[in-house]
Amino acid sequence: MERTIIHLNIADFAAAVERRLDRRLDGRPLAIAAPAASRAVVYDMSDEAYQAGVRKGMPLTRATRLCRDLTVRPPQPARYEQAMADLLGQARAYSPLIEPGDQDGHLFVDVTGTSRLFGPAVDVAWRLRRRTRQELGLDPIWTVAANKLVAKVASRLVKPQGEYIVTPGDEEAFLSPLPVWLVPGIEAPDLSRLRELNLTRVHQVTALDPVHLEVALGPRAAFVAAALRGRDDAPVLPVGQKPPRVELNQTLDTDSHDPAVLEARLYPLVEAAGRQMRRQGRVARRIAVTADYSDGRRCVRQTRVEPPTANDLALFDLARRALHLAVVRRTRVRHLRLVCDRLIFPPAQLPLFEEERRTVLRREHLIAAMDRIRDRFGTQAVRMGRAATG
Amino acid sequence: MQTATPPSPSPLDRLRIGTCGYSYPEWGDAGFYPPGTPAQAMLSLYARQFSITELNYTWYQMPKAAAMERMLPKVPAQFGFAVKLTRSMTHEIDPHAWRGQVNQFREGIAPLVQADRLPAVLVQLPAAFERNEANRHYLANLLDALAGLPLAVEFRHHSWATDRVFTELERRRVTLVSVDVPDLPYLFPALDVVTNPDLFYIRFHGRNTRGWRSGNMQKQFDYLYSPAELQTWSGEMIPKMASQAHSGVIFFNNHVRAQAPRNAQMLIEQLGG
Repeated sequence: MERTIIHLNIADFAAAVERRLDRRLDGRPLAIAAPAASRAVVYDMSDEAYQAGVRKGMPLTRATRLCRDLTVRPPQPARYEQAMADLLGQARAYSPLIEPGDQDGHLFVDVTGTSRLFGPAVDVAWRLRRRTRQELGLDPIWTVAANKLVAKVASRLVKPQGEYIVTPGDEEAFLSPLPVWLVPGIEAPDLSRLRELNLTRVHQVTALDPVHLEVALGPRAAFVAAALRGRDDAPVLPVGQKPPRVELNQTLDTDSHDPAVLEARLYPLVEAAGRQMRRQGRVARRIAVTADYSDGRRCVRQTRVEPPTANDLALFDLARRALHLAVVRRTRVRHLRLVCDRLIFPPAQLPLFEEERRTVLRREHLIAAMDRIRDRFGTQAVRMGRAATG
Repeated sequence: MQTATPPSPSPLDRLRIGTCGYSYPEWGDAGFYPPGTPAQAMLSLYARQFSITELNYTWYQMPKAAAMERMLPKVPAQFGFAVKLTRSMTHEIDPHAWRGQVNQFREGIAPLVQADRLPAVLVQLPAAFERNEANRHYLANLLDALAGLPLAVEFRHHSWATDRVFTELERRRVTLVSVDVPDLPYLFPALDVVTNPDLFYIRFHGRNTRGWRSGNMQKQFDYLYSPAELQTWSGEMIPKMASQAHSGVIFFNNHVRAQAPRNAQMLIEQLGG
């Protein structure tokens, strides 16, 4: 069935929300960053700051050097959360299938089959934008297309302001003259490989024989070829049904690069993640550790969880491996993040070999016993020795 | 021996009737298109029944030349496209940017102009656009900026229904759009005034009084004209207007449940098409 997807995108979301509250910021270069911290990095910026060379993740000291009249405002995550909730509220009137981004002013609304109720999708999109302007004081880009990928490219094309309607069937013609980097899902290694071959525009890549593209991009070729032709079957996920994942954060009281301290800080995260997953009856197939250094640089390392598990002890072995891959610099670490994703319902099969099976069962029993104690006496009632270190 | 003289072409022969827009998924459910017709196949199916359409998506989005070019091969050589002027020049006017928008609009519709497929550019002004000094100046400047295009102006506010306005439109050879709308006191009335000898233009919006201000197009344009209601137009007003202009275009905007194409066919039959 032909789908109709609306994409709303408030460009430079955090900066737009701050401007809504303080109109004096209009037209001035604005960065969102913690100004008091010397190691602060830019969280978001206005278009004026972007034009001056300021980028997300850039150290604030560099940003202020590049843009002398930069106004800096501290991040206010609660405000952005509220603005996203308001935006979501506007869209709920038109469809139950709304997929919001992560506090970033993006929203996909699947309005397939609603035209008899609300009229043509373009009219719904325009009304959504008008109400968002009138009631929230925010001016979103709106685009309408047959899938999320094309709608998102259209938004990127008109950024920071405007609208774009891609008529169904026009996807290939629409993408054809555009630069490849505008298409979501085409990753940095693909881009650099294509650039080596002097292929920068979509039509240059789609003109290639599939066999030739496979030589250039390997197993990614089929995905890239489909994306560049505007094919995307990914559904708009209903609100609250984003791909399940567990994410936990820990900011160190004192920055450190001592492995023992970092492991001791990581272990409670693993415990909490494991407990959350066990409550959901799920297991993780991937675990990732993000280390934010005190100079603002970030390193993410991840590893596959095989067999998938939610057991703290098994997860910690993998998380520790990811941690040691992420923390390789001499600079101290300020913040750790643990993400368990690709969650599935656990396979019923136990390991084949007796000894391995015994280990797994022993770990399962131990963690189950700890869960029971904590359920009865509180989370602090029982702790692993390593969690008390450091 | 008496030679037979060919009959002089009736003014109604130069009349084209269609609907406001053609891409409505619900028209598949309503039986106008085969069920499940993809959007990209709708224009060519539509063109089998009608010889003209009014593009109203250009009100939402500035027309793009490439998209216009892609439409042309889908329709027969004589098929016409009336194009609605983008909202940034009628409903959401930025006093500093609208002149630039006019240039963009001209570029966007250039393929239709070059292919001689543009019978009219519809300048539809909102109900809030009443006749006052500022709006009169703006409209005069807009019509100047769009000069050279076949312009048709649709007013929604009743204050524009005066002879001075019609005289000025006549002087400019700009078409006054005749409308069929619900009987509400603030709306521009249904008139058969022809201000441009080249073209008259009629839009049928339906007469759904309750739905008109609902803010929902599905209620606003939910109406099916009866044969008797259309007869008022086909019997008197349209022939009179046709006798005063070289050509005419008529569009039905009551798109809900494909009532617009049903009424368009009904009117074509009443006019002996």
